[in-house]
Amino acid sequence: MQSESGKDITDYYKHLSLFWTDIVHLMSSKPQALTSIGPMRAFAANSKKVSTELIEINEDLMEFNKHLTEYYKQLADTWVDAQKKVNLKAPEIPQDIEQMEAVKRIWIDIFDNDFTELFDSGKFGDNYGKLVSKELELTKHWNNITNVVLQSVNLPSKEEIDEVYKEIHSLKKRVAKLELELKKKEMKKNAE
Amino acid sequence: MQSESKVDPKIIEEILKFGKNVIEAPKLVSAPDEISLEVTPHEVVQQMDKTRLLHYKPITEKQHKTPLLISYALINRFHILDIQPEKSWVRNLLQQGFDIYMLDWGTPTSMDKYLDFDDYVNGYLDAYVEYIKNESSTEKISLQGYCTGATIATTYASLHPESVKNYIATAPVIDGWRDTTVISNLAKHMDVDKMVEIIGNMPPEFMYYAFSVLKPFEQGIEKYVNFFKNIENKKFVDSFLRVEKWLGDTPPIPGELFKQWIKDIYQDNLLIQNKMYIEGQLVDLKKIDMPIFTQVAVGDHLVSPECSMPLHYAVGSEDKTLRMYPTGHVGMIASSLSQKKVLPELGQWLADRS
Repeated sequence: MQSESGKDITDYYKHLSLFWTDIVHLMSSKPQALTSIGPMRAFAANSKKVSTELIEINEDLMEFNKHLTEYYKQLADTWVDAQKKVNLKAPEIPQDIEQMEAVKRIWIDIFDNDFTELFDSGKFGDNYGKLVSKELELTKHWNNITNVVLQSVNLPSKEEIDEVYKEIHSLKKRVAKLELELKKKEMKKNAE
Repeated sequence: MQSESKVDPKIIEEILKFGKNVIEAPKLVSAPDEISLEVTPHEVVQQMDKTRLLHYKPITEKQHKTPLLISYALINRFHILDIQPEKSWVRNLLQQGFDIYMLDWGTPTSMDKYLDFDDYVNGYLDAYVEYIKNESSTEKISLQGYCTGATIATTYASLHPESVKNYIATAPVIDGWRDTTVISNLAKHMDVDKMVEIIGNMPPEFMYYAFSVLKPFEQGIEKYVNFFKNIENKKFVDSFLRVEKWLGDTPPIPGELFKQWIKDIYQDNLLIQNKMYIEGQLVDLKKIDMPIFTQVAVGDHLVSPECSMPLHYAVGSEDKTLRMYPTGHVGMIASSLSQKKVLPELGQWLADRS
């Protein structure tokens, strides 16, 4: 977790950045309206959205890095512990094929057991879940920035495409239900 | 005085031979992309959206009256049930005189993110069951579900018991809270709402990650060392590459379906508690009253026996059988054990009821 003073500094810079982005945006909107035409005007008008997303990406990136560090720490700690166990069980350097096979078997068994124990643990699941969640939030910011670009060239955003998919899905369901009802009516009619 | 350690020359010989095998491997074996996984002859008899219904050509003169529809899992593809002639689940059942259909769920795209349990159970599966009933002039069919395909088949057997004569649940995913696998640990901590909202479908990469944490050293290192060591053993190499190709090809899972599956099975565990709803219909396992045969693998590290076995005790059927086999998730369906033990027992059970 971020310390209070760290959070204050982040909030200060976030405010500072947004203040100047807003002011510059307001100050430039009129000359911009006069000078920029076509698709690039839409991009310029939405540039504030891009700045906000970039600021938020930084915040999420800090959290993401924290969980990523913990993820690699868990892997590294497990590796070190497993290797210690292997060293205790097989202290000698193998001298022939049989010994080499035996050491390999010990190594694989201990490493698989220890890593499975880690992957099965609550601490791993919890951190991994948060890591993926933060990665998804970063993806969301990237999607939002891409949407600004898409809108500037008059292409549908992800949300707009999703709406179409949802509508198609709903229509398909309705058609399937109607077909089923029709089939039932036909069967009833034939039975009469 | 220093002790002198001697290295066995055989170790050097072994390392050199291994290096030679690695270099010569491309000359000796096909690339996975060059291998076709379609083994037993079949035809595509129906198609709905991206799903397909396959019908295998009979290989016996006489066949049992009741056809069998296999609902394969949502992870990877149906080829594992027909991976090579001598280990083919499908071929074995054809040899035992069964009429076999297979449901191939296909490859969903972003457009399919809103497909849900209702579409899979009351849509695709029900439509194919109706088709088979019409084609074979029977009122009921036998249904087999494997892994996550068994979760879908179980809900189908509960909602449409009038269409299912016999139900075979092979490593079914049923009781998520009892599941002791790494997969269930990841699933329980997943923010599935966020994943579906932002990504849409469950991406294959996530499944590859889940596979990679299952016995990572045995599966990630030892397996490939053995492959190169046995590069001259044609039978071993062929079997290895087929399974590897199968493992490396998993389709995305439609977002809404995946969301309900993770929440209702792994996070809230609604199915086994008879609290799961599909489009407003309650899935009551007590309504599964047809003969049921549950197959569980003791060494299953994808769906633990504790996750599958509760189905046997939860159903309303009086005629029910539970079998446990000393093998793993894939070993139960595609191994010499499955050919010698699992399939003969299943075939006998099914023949008596078909």
